Amino acid sequence: MNGSQGTYRNTDSEERPDRSLGITRRTFLHKSFLAGAAGAATFGWFPLINTIDLAFGAESFKFAWLSDTHLYPKDVNTRFVEKTERAVKEIQAMQPAADFLIFGGDLAQLGDPVELDLGNEILKQVTINKVFIPGEHDWYLDMGAKWEQLFGKPPWSFDHKGVRFIGLDTVSRAPDYWSIKKMSPKERMGHMATLDGSVAGPWAGVGHDQLAWLNSALADLAQDAPVIVFSHNPLYEYYPPWNFWVRDWREVHEILQPFSNVTNIHGHTHQVLYNEIGNLRSIGMLATSWPWPYAPEGVPILTTPHIRADPGDHFDGVGWAQLDVTAAGRVEHEYMMWRKDILAEAPWDSGTGDNANQVLRPRIADRQWPY
Amino acid sequence: MKRKRYALIVLGATLSLSLVVTAVLNQALAHKAKHTPEQLQAFQDVLMEQVRLGDLLFHGDGATAQQMGVNLSRTGMACAMCHPFASDTHPHEFPKFQEQMNAFATLRDMINWCIEKPNEGEIIGTDSEAMKALEAYIYWSNQGSKLDTGRH
Ligand SMILES: [Fe+2]
Ligand SMILES: [Fe+2]
Repeated sequence: MNGSQGTYRNTDSEERPDRSLGITRRTFLHKSFLAGAAGAATFGWFPLINTIDLAFGAESFKFAWLSDTHLYPKDVNTRFVEKTERAVKEIQAMQPAADFLIFGGDLAQLGDPVELDLGNEILKQVTINKVFIPGEHDWYLDMGAKWEQLFGKPPWSFDHKGVRFIGLDTVSRAPDYWSIKKMSPKERMGHMATLDGSVAGPWAGVGHDQLAWLNSALADLAQDAPVIVFSHNPLYEYYPPWNFWVRDWREVHEILQPFSNVTNIHGHTHQVLYNEIGNLRSIGMLATSWPWPYAPEGVPILTTPHIRADPGDHFDGVGWAQLDVTAAGRVEHEYMMWRKDILAEAPWDSGTGDNANQVLRPRIADRQWPY
Repeated sequence: MKRKRYALIVLGATLSLSLVVTAVLNQALAHKAKHTPEQLQAFQDVLMEQVRLGDLLFHGDGATAQQMGVNLSRTGMACAMCHPFASDTHPHEFPKFQEQMNAFATLRDMINWCIEKPNEGEIIGTDSEAMKALEAYIYWSNQGSKLDTGRH
């Protein structure tokens, strides 16, 4: 198989050629991890690995992804704090250590400085390099002021062991719906923090200025060099009403199109997701806070959905992720979901199986009143 | 003096409003006259007011919860955080055996389970105003779903 082929593995290591795309897809559950890593059995890890070929990973290394912790102040609830702390301890315990941690946004729930400071404190337990991109929950109380003070200004890019990493900001460029309605910062944040709200609308986007930046950030790069793009929102159109997209994804694809090995790693969707459009692969990461249901439509056909989460166990359906770039030039991605079974085999266990016979319509109450 | 006159006005307004409503309802109950568009609109308005209240409760609106005397969550979690657009509430699948309760359950039972367990709130009366509003919002949002009683 050549460098542009994507693979996706399963328990039985059964190869299933995907004729429509001319690629080979395999999926397996990485059982060795249970026996190998200290504490893995205790935590009930049973990670899923996505293996993606990258042509030019020069040297093998690991990095970790953590996002969507949605921290409230401790006096409101501590369950999200506990889960973030658990993930942070596990990341810090990785053997060998990860080269860096990417935090993918939605550290806070309501952009409260108390929440962001709390997150910053917890993340200090991770002593490897850390890079950050914001989520909408971090941004819209003070328009990113506290975020930038703590974590710096997106976008950014760096080269690491033969891979160009890009961090995008897909949240800060929402059209201004608040000024004309004279909303307070709290009201603005409230609308932004409501996934199915209709006031903020499909706000996610990269924006002209950042598109230009992205173009120049890749200008010097060989077209067959591997690129990994981090974004909070997915860089394709999955389900705009919940901002499971960026509105200018076509322009993003246009810029990335000349490069043969681009992997987008994103948060925001809080669920197992995989997609390929042209040369661009997208992998959706888990949240530590709670899993979103699969959208009623638009779930990529290449996604093997995760199993339904148990709503009575708030450690279920959530977690973090570990990504390896191997010497052979592949990115292996493991969902560290805190449960035994991750993937659904039968439709009745599947998160997307819930969509059967379900027809939804968007809410209207938040538009009727008080605005 | 002023207050007395105000009270009289309010009383008068309430009486005449209730007469109108009674008249509308009597006609509706009697079912002998053809409906006017105004009547249909009035019925729709009753529904949509419940949908609106239910939507606000579902999305964790503190003022509405207070006004209706309920405390649906002590964790900052709102129903909509797991159920955007009331997805995965499945009103069209109830009643059914519900594993979490190990019992045959109605949608209202399930609403209370979610309030009590994940949200750590206070359960509400199965026939309470808040329950009817939540049910109205959930059904309205799932309009178009196909009845699938008992689906797991
Ligand atoms: Fe999130
Ligand atoms: Fe988000």
